[in-house]
Amino acid sequence: MSATASAPLSGKARLTPRQRFWHRARHHRGFVFGAVVLATIVAVAIFAPLIAPHDPYLQVLSDRMQPPVFLGGTWHHPLGTDALGRDYLSRLLYGARISLLIGLVAATISAVIGTTLGILAGYFGGRVDTVVTFLINVRLALPVVLVALAVVALLGGSLTVVVSVLGLLLWDRFAVVLRSATRQVRTIEYVAAAEVLGASLPRILYKDILPNIANHLIVIATLEMAHAIILEAALSFLGLGVQPPLPSWGLMISEGKAMLLFQSWLITIPGVALFLLVLAINMFGDGIRDVTTPEGRD
Amino acid sequence: MAVLVALTVSIISFSLLYLSGDPAVAMAGENADDAAIQAIREGYGFDRPFIVQYGDWLFSALRGDFGESYYFRVPVSEVIADRLQITMLLGLFSTSFALVVAIPLGVAAALWPNSIIDRAALFLSVVGQAIPSFWFGLILIVIFAIDLRLLPASGSGTWAGFVLPTVVLGYYATPAIMRLTRTGMLEVLSADYVRTARAKGLPAPNIVFKHALRNAIIPVVSLAAVQMGFMLGGSVVVESVFALHGAGYLAWESISRNDLPTMQALVLIFSMFYIAFTILADVVNAWLDPRLRVS
Amino acid sequence: MRLAGLSSLVAAALLASTSAYAGKADDTLHVAFTKEVENVDVYYTTAREGLILSHSIWDGLVHRDPASGDYVGNLATQWRWVDDTTLEFDLREGVKFHNGEPFDADDVVATVNYVVDPKNGVKAPKNVNWMKSAEKIDQYKVRIHLAAPFPAALEFLSSVVPMYPNEYYAKVGSTGMAKQPVGTGPYKVESVEPGRHFVLKKNEDHFGGPKADAAIETVDIRTIPEINTQLAELATGGLDLIWGVPTDQAQMLDAQGGFNVVNEETMRVGYMTMDAAKRTSGDTPMANKKVREAINYAIDRKGIVDALVQGSSEVINSACSPIQFGCDQDVKVYDYDPEKAKKLLEEAGYGDGFSIEFYAYRDRPYAEALMNNLAAVGIRTNLNFLQYAALADKVRQDGIPLGFMTWGSNSIADVSAILPEFFGGGGQDQSRDEEVQKAIVSGDTSIDKDARAKSYSKALNRIADEAYWVPLWTYGAYYAMSQDTNFKPTSDEIVRFFDVTWN
Repeated sequence: MSATASAPLSGKARLTPRQRFWHRARHHRGFVFGAVVLATIVAVAIFAPLIAPHDPYLQVLSDRMQPPVFLGGTWHHPLGTDALGRDYLSRLLYGARISLLIGLVAATISAVIGTTLGILAGYFGGRVDTVVTFLINVRLALPVVLVALAVVALLGGSLTVVVSVLGLLLWDRFAVVLRSATRQVRTIEYVAAAEVLGASLPRILYKDILPNIANHLIVIATLEMAHAIILEAALSFLGLGVQPPLPSWGLMISEGKAMLLFQSWLITIPGVALFLLVLAINMFGDGIRDVTTPEGRD
Repeated sequence: MAVLVALTVSIISFSLLYLSGDPAVAMAGENADDAAIQAIREGYGFDRPFIVQYGDWLFSALRGDFGESYYFRVPVSEVIADRLQITMLLGLFSTSFALVVAIPLGVAAALWPNSIIDRAALFLSVVGQAIPSFWFGLILIVIFAIDLRLLPASGSGTWAGFVLPTVVLGYYATPAIMRLTRTGMLEVLSADYVRTARAKGLPAPNIVFKHALRNAIIPVVSLAAVQMGFMLGGSVVVESVFALHGAGYLAWESISRNDLPTMQALVLIFSMFYIAFTILADVVNAWLDPRLRVS
Repeated sequence: MRLAGLSSLVAAALLASTSAYAGKADDTLHVAFTKEVENVDVYYTTAREGLILSHSIWDGLVHRDPASGDYVGNLATQWRWVDDTTLEFDLREGVKFHNGEPFDADDVVATVNYVVDPKNGVKAPKNVNWMKSAEKIDQYKVRIHLAAPFPAALEFLSSVVPMYPNEYYAKVGSTGMAKQPVGTGPYKVESVEPGRHFVLKKNEDHFGGPKADAAIETVDIRTIPEINTQLAELATGGLDLIWGVPTDQAQMLDAQGGFNVVNEETMRVGYMTMDAAKRTSGDTPMANKKVREAINYAIDRKGIVDALVQGSSEVINSACSPIQFGCDQDVKVYDYDPEKAKKLLEEAGYGDGFSIEFYAYRDRPYAEALMNNLAAVGIRTNLNFLQYAALADKVRQDGIPLGFMTWGSNSIADVSAILPEFFGGGGQDQSRDEEVQKAIVSGDTSIDKDARAKSYSKALNRIADEAYWVPLWTYGAYYAMSQDTNFKPTSDEIVRFFDVTWN
């Protein structure tokens, strides 16, 4: 899939970096697939109220567990209904909002923490670096699922708690990668030049270092977003995620699990949605990395 | 560093106690009354200052005494011991599974870059990372236990009970190991000494296995050790899906029944395993890589 | 981590064969527990699974016939009330414990005096603290002295006070008893892997009291927390009998055929509790009787029972299980009437409704259906779904504004197992109504049946009039078994393994 990435660049020398990016991106199949699927899911999430055929919270107890249309159901409920008679398609559409929200917010929190720590460590080195390395090691030593479960169980599950816990637990990769990236950038001449010219630290970080490591940042952000979405689903599956009646996909799988042996479509549908979302985010992230760093994928 | 990390982790695991409600109520259970709860509260010293309770706990923990499980009323170490065996076994199986699948795939992908094999491997790794493990586990149960009746749906009594959990837990580590093997092999294959070896006319398998793989595998060993640490944590989900009575499942159960001593002990032990595996990885690397050995 | 242990486990895992199945063929009943039993010593567990084991392994002085509800002799043959606080028992002669130790008055005295001693810390003190002591009259005659008049004494003696062998217990203690339990019951214990796996063997020397002799040679019990896994094992022959199957799955299984699916009523009731005593905040709407009435009218209990709970469940109107003694059903009834609910809310000054924290710990779909009913009359709820321990803690410490909870009364068929807990002024009492408390105390301490019934009726009527609870429904329990297995469940949810036979 990185075939185009390694193609000779001659003849495109006059293109601006941005044009070059798009040119490469258009030919990167993984990136295109990821971007299209992701864009679709984002669009669905934003326009859920317009597309959803029913109110995702409306219970019709007499209409419980209607099968989806491809299993003999009717078009009234294209994906059937859940155990409380709520329209499954509508819940799935609204659920995209929850998953994306959790992924975005958790990734943002961890990006802020990890980036700050990573840049500080990479820029200053020495004792700051030692402290940050120590923090990273502590974080890595803690079993994420276990700690997240314990905290959510003890504080009670809600969207806020889940998102914060995940955000606070997933910053390690940001810190590790940005630490080494900052180190490399710091030795680049113009950063040294800026220092000599007496530019203030925040200015150097913001103007000179951040743009140079932005690519890394985006790639990790996508990875961690996917990671957070999967973890939320796992927490919800164990009954310790977001609270109903919010239609989170993880929660839908957890609710559908009850009928695993008899109505397996109840978990297949949100499971496939979750899989596609995570797949798209990962391919999108991989794509950005391949396109911006033509040397290779890893 | 490792000691300091371990100490910090121990403080974190201990403070979990203070996030919770009243441990006395948890110990007493559904049919207990107020008087019983008060008696437990005083009996277990939940009213002492934090630092005293922590110090007490840490020193006992160092001697392998994690206190008494609120739930089972026997020493935590006793509850944990045999369950840890199951989780270790699962971790071992899963890591082996991941290595056995990932390394040949990674080598093949590196030997024939951009071939069908390479693409298939990449595709598998991308897909693998996106499947939620609990969902994958449920689907496997439906297929292999219910529809095909090839394997039991639960239990650790026989080897067959380990097959599905091993696959579910192992597949999660596979993509990372495969990618790293591929990258490492690509690098090594283009390195000077391999080119030299090729120029000398050494047979290809010899080059691949004796020279290239040995070097490419160094980072893989670290990763596998780290992954094994992660997998012990990931066993929480897998063990609860397959009703494997290991430490991961015990951790989840302890959390839901507020059995804090057990929970603290498990968080601490899982963390220590991770630290131990990281150190182990360094040792193995030094052995594999003569350059590191000298320095 | 002992390496030897690990490698032996590897070997065992590799050598063992795939198939532990069969059931009828090898005369072994395979069953599953959902919860881990924390301790097989039944005085140190509150899990129902512990009670289930206890009924097969040990015996009480008396036995309650689950079908008729009558008490018959078990380890005792005769008994009489000497006075309000003294019960005298003639003991059965010739009974032997599984280890050969003979049963006599010393065992009763040792057991009772051990469990009532607070320093031994039994896990559910109220199961035993109605007794003060036991006294040996002669080798086969004992007296039990009560702490206060306690009318439900026989009920408790039949269910939660099994007799232990005094010499053995003195020697091995509770820990030893949990590892190798010894009793007089129809089954003896062959092996215990704490919390995970129990194997029971038929007791060939069972004394034959009111409990049947075991019909099946071996009972193999594994803990399988996931109901889906239990169903999968049942479907593939790995289990012969499971219980606690959720309604939907049970009905699907039944419709699919090939299994016996049975529903039996239980003593568990669902209820909504409201903070009438203003423990959560001074201005909680729940302190207003009109609001509590409105909530009672807002809930479509019948609709939820018919669509979701199903089985043998029925709507209840008083704060207890209809199976229990003293549970007067003739109280104020709040029929489903959302319009009336809205009107009451308006009168109470909540015309635009209000938002409130809502707590629950099980049956999430039911909780969501209740929330839906409340939303329809303008009460917006924010669900907090906690583990039982955490929620019970919260109720005891600070109270909760509104919650959906259930109570199984420890399978004791007497309202004294539910009313004092929730209306007796203790931590779980959210109404703190002195009039109710007084009526309950008078019912709890009198031994005259009619007087008790009258007192409890007074309490229940007041609870309904003041709308302190929304009594919801009773719970039925689904049992599913292979076609070879024959078992008739009872309302106390105790699976008596000695009553299971092969078809």
